Amino acid sequence: MVSPVERTDAQVVRDVLSGDHDAYRLLVRRYGDVLYGHALRMAASHDDAADLVQRALVQGFQKLRTCRDTDRVGAWLFRILANLCKDHIRSPRRSDISLTALAGMLRGGSDPASDAEGAEVRSRVWGALDALTPEQREAFVLKHVEGRSYEEIAAVMDLSVASLKMRVHRARQALRGLLEEYA
Amino acid sequence: MTDELNRYLDDEVGDDALTATARTDADAWDRMVESFRAAAPRAAAPAWLEQNVMRDIEALPHQGRLTRALQWLTNPTPVRVSPLATGLVVAAFALVLLLPQTTPGPGPDPTAGVARGTPGATTTTEDTGPVVYVQFVLEAPGATSVSLAGDFSDWEASVTLADQNADGFWTARVPVRPGVYGYMFLIDGTEWRTDPRADRYRDDGFGNRNAVLAIAASD
Repeated sequence: MVSPVERTDAQVVRDVLSGDHDAYRLLVRRYGDVLYGHALRMAASHDDAADLVQRALVQGFQKLRTCRDTDRVGAWLFRILANLCKDHIRSPRRSDISLTALAGMLRGGSDPASDAEGAEVRSRVWGALDALTPEQREAFVLKHVEGRSYEEIAAVMDLSVASLKMRVHRARQALRGLLEEYA
Repeated sequence: MTDELNRYLDDEVGDDALTATARTDADAWDRMVESFRAAAPRAAAPAWLEQNVMRDIEALPHQGRLTRALQWLTNPTPVRVSPLATGLVVAAFALVLLLPQTTPGPGPDPTAGVARGTPGATTTTEDTGPVVYVQFVLEAPGATSVSLAGDFSDWEASVTLADQNADGFWTARVPVRPGVYGYMFLIDGTEWRTDPRADRYRDDGFGNRNAVLAIAASD
């Protein structure tokens, strides 16, 4: 069983690699919600998000020996998931989501009336992300939806700030048609 | 999108630095971004996820010490080579090769044991000298293809890397002549990535940076 004593990520990785597979639960618990949230915003489907996170965590376990910076195993797992998400978006087998279903999944306000009115707008706005490439969508979601700084994203994704800015700028360019809704 | 607006949205300048027109656009962008944030799906991972992950892990084929040892012996292992270390090895190798030439009489081919480079390869500094093989390695789990482009290939992504162990480490062994080269990896045909393990970098003039590989001349 996993010890209740708080262990660092590096200690957990060491324990797992020493044969204590159950210790991997700690990493699943620590990063499961963050990974799931990102997968949900990339895949826009609860089922797909759960499948992607499950695959990422199992792949992470299988490749754990290749993780060099074990103190940052969370970022390493995030990169595995991010790549799976982008592959998923590119995949022709990706299930299409109806706007109705999308509107139901997206968050609404507390007022049911305004929620109903806003559902269509929300689904149209969020559905516009489908016009972006997987890389642009990822950069836009991390920067503007998750509110992370470029430096933070660059560190996690192992990319240069300049590359990230380029992707976000192109995403904004692709989304500028939506601006009329907010002018 | 204007540069002015992008700088504002990148948090590089405040709205007080914007012109009246740009401020109107910025306000619209702020409202739109807020819509994205407000509408974004947020949820905790389902409770059964941990159970499913651990179940899948337990179902994986068990690898004992003997199996892992056999794999270690039989599987090719990626070797990471820094440009500096490569240069030193090349210099030492060249020194050994050149020594027999100082003795009278016919000696061994100075390039014996060193393969010739690809005819189309170009360099930025020199176009002579023995070809050396450089092992390029990129960790890109989830990638479906990785290729390499640089000064030595006229920036054509013609060198294909292989993930031979299906462990996310993509490798290629590339013949390179002495010189200094900029290079980048191309992932899935769309994403340019700078080698995070290069010892040196240089700006490419387009806001990105190329990794730099330096191969010392043999003389």
